[in-house]
Amino acid sequence: MNMNKLLSLCFALSAALLITQPASALQIELPEETARYVPSDLPGYALAQANCLTCHSAHYVLVQPHTSPRTYWDATVHKMKKPFGAPIRDEDMAAIVDYLVKTYGAERTAASAAK
Amino acid sequence: MRATQLTPSARHARRTLLGALAVAGAGSTALGTAALAAGNAAASPAEGQRILLPFENGERELAVFPQKRPLIVLTSRPPQLETPFAVFNDGLITPNDAFFVRYHWSAIPTAIDPATYRLRITGKVNTPLDLTLADIKSLATPVEVVAVNQCSGNSRGFFTPRVNGGQLANGAMGNARWTGIPLKALLDKAGVQAGALQVSFNGLDTPPLGDGPDFLKALDMDQARDGEVLVAWGMNGEDLPMLNGFPLRLVVPGHYGTYWVKHLSEIAVLDSPFEGFWVKSGYRIPDTACACVEPGTVPKKTVPINRFNVRSFLTSTVDGDTLRAGQDTLLRGIAFDSGHGITEVAISLDGGQSWQATRLSDSLGRYAFREWKTAIRPTTKGPLQIKVRATNRIGQTQPLEALWNAAGYMRNVVETTRVNVI
Repeated sequence: MNMNKLLSLCFALSAALLITQPASALQIELPEETARYVPSDLPGYALAQANCLTCHSAHYVLVQPHTSPRTYWDATVHKMKKPFGAPIRDEDMAAIVDYLVKTYGAERTAASAAK
Repeated sequence: MRATQLTPSARHARRTLLGALAVAGAGSTALGTAALAAGNAAASPAEGQRILLPFENGERELAVFPQKRPLIVLTSRPPQLETPFAVFNDGLITPNDAFFVRYHWSAIPTAIDPATYRLRITGKVNTPLDLTLADIKSLATPVEVVAVNQCSGNSRGFFTPRVNGGQLANGAMGNARWTGIPLKALLDKAGVQAGALQVSFNGLDTPPLGDGPDFLKALDMDQARDGEVLVAWGMNGEDLPMLNGFPLRLVVPGHYGTYWVKHLSEIAVLDSPFEGFWVKSGYRIPDTACACVEPGTVPKKTVPINRFNVRSFLTSTVDGDTLRAGQDTLLRGIAFDSGHGITEVAISLDGGQSWQATRLSDSLGRYAFREWKTAIRPTTKGPLQIKVRATNRIGQTQPLEALWNAAGYMRNVVETTRVNVI
């Protein structure tokens, strides 16, 4: 059966089915996630992977302007815990902030930003 | 309410067998998926390509998400996708597979069966309702509106000084024909009680864990019952794509996309002001006429973001294009506002000192993109800046210098396209 005939058949069937089957289930599969945090010797690297990636892809960090100061990263990490509900340990926050600002923010260097 | 996560087994959206047959006429059968994707790829940037948005750290991946052509990836989890700007020159209606995607939380629905889907109307109503999609579609005569949806933070990446948040270029907007019933019909059916002040809206997307604030929005009762706010299932003649809110979303013409709640699951009538995070703390703008402050400063008072300001774009010519001296170049583009209606679009070739009117095409409705056209014949060789500025029925227009606020909302500066005349 060629495509046109198949489509015609489908169309005819659809006309009949629309009466009893007005809407159908929709299912999607999202593509594989590819964004990654830049590896680093800083202790915040592992913590960022363990904490931030639980809820969102690395893009949220990766796309910010590289001028973003430490105050921004600090406020954002705290916002993720409260009010956004991320179970980040208080004692881990400073290290996460340090990794983020040195890798993606105003304190980044050529070495720290290397892919 | 948490969304059902099904076992992954296909890359693209797929429907059940009955569903595939039922929508054959709309061209989105299981067998049609590959052809659809291939056909779209010809007109758009290809998957896997990268695109450089014109601001610092603006390199982005283009990727195919379910029911979408390759779009600019702002974030992949949750999906936040930007429309490549070239799409806006293809036509006034933004195709469903090119329409931008914005979510707040990563627990999004990936499988929804309309047969079991319910919308509940609760709170200060005489008769709480628990409605199926079929109930809703037959509750009132369906209406259509062509309306722009635009993200509050559209164009945030262009803010100077830069502000944090989703770093978008100009592609977090789109213009579609929405089909649904007026929210008013639903509220009337439930019977709003005396003293009701606001209506809140919840959808199936939720925080992935913990006690983060679920994404709910609210409208004042007057607006909720104005007859223009729709509970919509149709987008450009088809079901809403999943990532645009299948099977039901709120359509709030003239208002920023934050109010257009997707996968609508509960409407609550309230007798006190809504206190949720996404109205009380998020999506606030300076309470000034321009919704702006001096860069780097904090507003004295804020209000919830609400109506669009006026915007216009040149779409047929882009930065870096070459024009020929002494020859006509046809220019076209789009303009929109919050629904008063665009009355003039003018261009300037001298840095905004003088302006010449353009021709407006027929209107698709006061909430829609309005097309404008004109021809220019540059005489001097060298760099040329083309500015475009729209004005609406009540005299609102666009500033020559960009306005600023810390959240990066409501950018509407007069756009400038830089070309070279040879």
